[in-house]
Amino acid sequence: MNLFEKALIVDDEYHIRKYMGLVLRSMGVTTICEASNGAEGVVAYLSEQPDLVLLDVNMPVMDGIEALLEIRSLNAEASIVMLTSIATRNTIEQAVDGGALHYIRKDTPRDELIALLSGLLMEKNQAVS
Amino acid sequence: MPETTDQRLLAEAESSWLQTRGRKILLVDDERLNRSILRKILEPEGYVLEEADSAEAALAQYDSFAPDLVLFDVLLPGMNGFDACRELHRRYGEQAATVVFITAKQDSGAIVEGFNAGGVDYVLKPFRQKEVVARIHTHLQIRLLFAHQLTLVTQLSRANAAKTRFLSMAAHDLRNPLATIRGLSEFLLDGTVGPLTPEQAELVELIHNTSQGMVTLVNDLLDLATIESGEFKLDSAPTRLADLVGQSVNLTAMASTRKRTRIEFERGPDAPLIRVDATKARQVIDNLLSNAVKYSPPGSTIRVALEVDAGTNSQILRVFDQGPGIPEQERDRLFTDFGRLSTRTTGGEQSIGLGLAICRKIVESHHGTIEAVNQLDGGCEFCVTFPNLIT
Repeated sequence: MNLFEKALIVDDEYHIRKYMGLVLRSMGVTTICEASNGAEGVVAYLSEQPDLVLLDVNMPVMDGIEALLEIRSLNAEASIVMLTSIATRNTIEQAVDGGALHYIRKDTPRDELIALLSGLLMEKNQAVS
Repeated sequence: MPETTDQRLLAEAESSWLQTRGRKILLVDDERLNRSILRKILEPEGYVLEEADSAEAALAQYDSFAPDLVLFDVLLPGMNGFDACRELHRRYGEQAATVVFITAKQDSGAIVEGFNAGGVDYVLKPFRQKEVVARIHTHLQIRLLFAHQLTLVTQLSRANAAKTRFLSMAAHDLRNPLATIRGLSEFLLDGTVGPLTPEQAELVELIHNTSQGMVTLVNDLLDLATIESGEFKLDSAPTRLADLVGQSVNLTAMASTRKRTRIEFERGPDAPLIRVDATKARQVIDNLLSNAVKYSPPGSTIRVALEVDAGTNSQILRVFDQGPGIPEQERDRLFTDFGRLSTRTTGGEQSIGLGLAICRKIVESHHGTIEAVNQLDGGCEFCVTFPNLIT
């Protein structure tokens, strides 16, 4: 059974939200919610209770690392994957320390992106069931 | 219209910066008569002069006067000219004023000692006026040139760093939208959002291939910017090179099926692990293989071999293509930035000529070598050596 039916995409760029939405849909995610900065993302997380969050790192108002910590403090089990433009060591460390499942560069080729995300979700599914 | 740097430099060169008038000279001699003769010769040249009657006095005056050149008598009461010159260099290093000795001591031992002490020239007493003027003029000009070069180098490296930062920022901002275009066109192509007519499919495929080419280009530019900005760091770990080659061969073979290119990999006996940055080494291998495919005619066979040098334990990767080889007169450009050659790809593939420059920088940061040799029976062999530094 796929435990990931609802996903939240938090990114300040519309084209990334749209594209990632298609990626998730093609993996069987049925409901996609969107938010365009970290603060909106935290609010949407509370109201929508998604099974998975894709979270951009560099955003206005509240950045992704802050939002990651905020969401994890609301739900220590939240499945969050960070989206980055530049995977600097510092960002990766902050993301891993903050409890992100993974960090993915936005320019990763689509098929690789799908394989990576599917792998993560499968692991998470198995851990839960 | 803003002046270009070239125009500005030319204008400056013509007007001011080689101008020695107004430069400051400290005359050090214990004989008042000698000092006043020198003053009489040098004043008309427009120099600003100060006098000292001993080395000690000269050193005391040095800071407040800040001379460009010191004319030192060698034989002085108290500290001699050579020791005073050494003291100047000890205190001020490369910033020290130019020192010219002026003395009656004319044995070659004394002359050599003067040069060793840090002097740049030697005028013998009794001196000819024109000679003194000419030598001082020349040494002041050399000093000005030197200072100017230093300023130029600093300015240029700042400008270059700014260019690299700009390049990297621009490329970053291009990369994600391009990757989105590429990804969205893939969704269109595979029918996720509904069927396409053959003509629509052809157009979308063109969008896909073009955006793919641009993503590659932008990534190459970013790699180069990273290398140039000095942020390029190796993350080395013991690695089985043959595995990296294997992965790269499989991927490249898949991507080149349309061109019917075969890739043969002679894996050879298992080589020991070697310390490399696996991601970057893979980038080199990918690049060599995709180049081999790009420049070989459709239906070619690319041969890849991995060997261990029995003597040095270096691991050597060889890639043999069936392309036209490297034109002899363009060989120098092969591994340089934007050094694309006149050779054309055989399937319309794109190239901006950064791939091999990046390869060279990655290989060299591993203390390895990369070279290309034309083969006698046509085609080219690229050979990369990764030395086995730490086991």
